[in-house]
Amino acid sequence: MRSLTTAASGMQAQQLNVEVISNNLANMNTTGFKRQRAEFQDLLYQNVQQMGVNSSDTGTIVPTGAQVGLGVDTGSIYRITEQGGLAATDNPYDLAIAGNGFFQVQLPSGDTGYTRAGAFAVSGTGQIVTADGYTVSPGITVPQNARDITISEQGQVSATVDGSTAATIVGQLELATFFNEAGLEAVGGNMYLETAASGAATTGTGGSPGFGDIRQGFVETSNVNAVTEITALIAAQRAYEMNARVITASDEMLAASSNLR
Amino acid sequence: MDNTIMIGLSRQISLRRSMDVVANNIANANTAGFKVESVLLESAPAPVAQQVDGPSELQFVNMWGMGRDFSQGQLEYSGRPLDLAIDGDGFFATQMNGQEQYTRDGRFRLDSLGQLVTGNGSAVLSAGGRQPIILDPSADITIQDGGSVMQNGEEIARIGVFEIANMSQLSKSGDGQYVLDTSAPDAIEPQAMLNPAIQQGYVEASNVQSIREMTHMMSVMRSYQSVAKFINQVEDLNKRSIERLGRVS
Repeated sequence: MRSLTTAASGMQAQQLNVEVISNNLANMNTTGFKRQRAEFQDLLYQNVQQMGVNSSDTGTIVPTGAQVGLGVDTGSIYRITEQGGLAATDNPYDLAIAGNGFFQVQLPSGDTGYTRAGAFAVSGTGQIVTADGYTVSPGITVPQNARDITISEQGQVSATVDGSTAATIVGQLELATFFNEAGLEAVGGNMYLETAASGAATTGTGGSPGFGDIRQGFVETSNVNAVTEITALIAAQRAYEMNARVITASDEMLAASSNLR
Repeated sequence: MDNTIMIGLSRQISLRRSMDVVANNIANANTAGFKVESVLLESAPAPVAQQVDGPSELQFVNMWGMGRDFSQGQLEYSGRPLDLAIDGDGFFATQMNGQEQYTRDGRFRLDSLGQLVTGNGSAVLSAGGRQPIILDPSADITIQDGGSVMQNGEEIARIGVFEIANMSQLSKSGDGQYVLDTSAPDAIEPQAMLNPAIQQGYVEASNVQSIREMTHMMSVMRSYQSVAKFINQVEDLNKRSIERLGRVS
């Protein structure tokens, strides 16, 4: 009975769907989180009757073959990199990107991580770091006696120090963009890594063509939409139940066969 | 007598196939672009040892082919610029390893070279020339109803929507892709449609109607059980006739 394994593949797929939806809902309030979508594709087909073969000696051919599908398969879990909302925080080190791009972060492993979660802070040595304490590259040091810090839309960091009225430029933040943002590997902690699928990073300043603006005093909220997720959850649960019914029905058919004698 | 059991068996085999197909429909109820399928049956006359007038009275059940319902699936809003749905006839053409395939699943993306691809990495082909489409990922992508891909106010390419004259020549190869049997004598090369209707930001859901599939499943299961019961009764009849005929009085 193929229908048993077919329905089992359907149940597995819906279970995965619920897992992805629950992760989206769990991260509804995570800064810079991008929602994911499980994408399904039909699995292999088994040819029961090959189409196009001769059905008689006179050369007539079978017009429609018979192919029986073997279930469903997870094509991919796709990250939807749509812009999240911007929430004002008034914290000078909270940065949000309006548009394309990622902040670059120096990870302890030596790799460069990419993030949209711009809730940064200043370390004990005056460097701009992420919540985990990793340096935001290129490393920018804020003077200890800085009274006020301003980050422009282009990513220019200026500080006004005590005893001076004019701001001095202390550094320039750079953003990175990718051909295929959905191909980045998520490693947790709001961080992504470059992969062969994403392509190499292109760096540039904020506001230049193809790059988003940097907004100081804002954080980017997640792009999870609760209503969409809940309706998807309902659909997934019902599909799961229907697949379970198919297994029950197939089981009863097998029971009818085994009760013949 | 044996024929009765054999006819029952042929019905049971076809019912199992039907069940497999229903299970596949239900498993793919949430697969974008999936088209519902059903088993077509025919009666196969039993061969007779002696030539007689008129058709044979015995008819077995034989699976004849697959019916595919290509009706429109519901368009669901996703808001993603590279989710495309065809409203009406036609298929997107894709290319993988030089082989052309067709699909209704328009959840496209850009690969690491900026090329428009499907979920399994096949390149989506343009209307004229059937070339892969390369886009600039940093600029906004607008796709018009007719398939024109606009970036920075210019037309970069036109996504092809191809009309397939005889859809029964399509066979499924998995991953939502169809292969056209070009070896058939009456095969017609698919032509790009002049006025396709593409909806950007929408996904075409499968056209599986769950209530229909569930009722079909129930009827398949009950028919199977009744055939089993009928085989049981024939068996019983056999047993009793042997007992009665073999009795020595």
